[in-house]
Amino acid sequence: MDLFKIPLLQRMTERMAWLGAREKVLATNVANSDTPGYQPKDVVPLDFSDHLQKLAAVEPQRTNPLHMQGTIPAKDPIDSKKQKKPYETKPAGNSVVIEEQMMKLSQTQADYNEMVNLYRKHIDMLKTAIGRGQ
Amino acid sequence: MDLMDSLAISAAGMRVQGERLRVISENIANADSVSEAPGGDPYRRKTITFKNELDRQSGLDLVKVQKVGLDPSEFTRKYDPNNPAADKTGYVKLPNVNALIEMGDMREAQRSYEANLKVVDVARGMLQRTIDILR
Repeated sequence: MDLFKIPLLQRMTERMAWLGAREKVLATNVANSDTPGYQPKDVVPLDFSDHLQKLAAVEPQRTNPLHMQGTIPAKDPIDSKKQKKPYETKPAGNSVVIEEQMMKLSQTQADYNEMVNLYRKHIDMLKTAIGRGQ
Repeated sequence: MDLMDSLAISAAGMRVQGERLRVISENIANADSVSEAPGGDPYRRKTITFKNELDRQSGLDLVKVQKVGLDPSEFTRKYDPNNPAADKTGYVKLPNVNALIEMGDMREAQRSYEANLKVVDVARGMLQRTIDILR
């Protein structure tokens, strides 16, 4: 049985990858809190309609290494963008607000924990189903 | 992996803040360093700036020290004819180090360091929870 064929687990894994990517972007923001001219970034929210659009774009399968890559560029699945409206900008052009980044960070952590707990619960349910649960 | 990457990014952030603290301590330690020769220039305050640059080895944007420069502001002058560094008119040039500015910078460096440390904590916690799925 392939666990990733279960849509719920697949979504959860995706969400966890997104949260991991967000953590990375926030770490970059905090590390650059004193870099002149640095604009904070955030990842593009995970959206189901985005997901559908990605599904619609079919890429030709490469069955031979000599085949050329399809016309659809292999894009980073998780995009990050500069924040449009910074709360405040320092004289040196840096607009990282540590408090804001910290709030996002704890939000990311909480969401991640939620996903991990859900994942474990789901696996436990599967184990019960196959008769190996508690 | 993203979580490992964020550890590396935060570590780079902490490293530059450490370097900044080194420059600040240099400035404070030299707050009274006058010139060796009579009438010469005293210690000039150092400044530090950061940049966000692609690290080719890891493929990540890491914070680095852009430049440790010199503060071009003017020296203060003090009348002290007995000082060996005094010029003919009896004035001594004192370093352009302002203890209050250095203290402010030091606090900022400390806060930024703590923020980076917090990010490391969170990333480590997330990694740990992922590993705990196995149990």
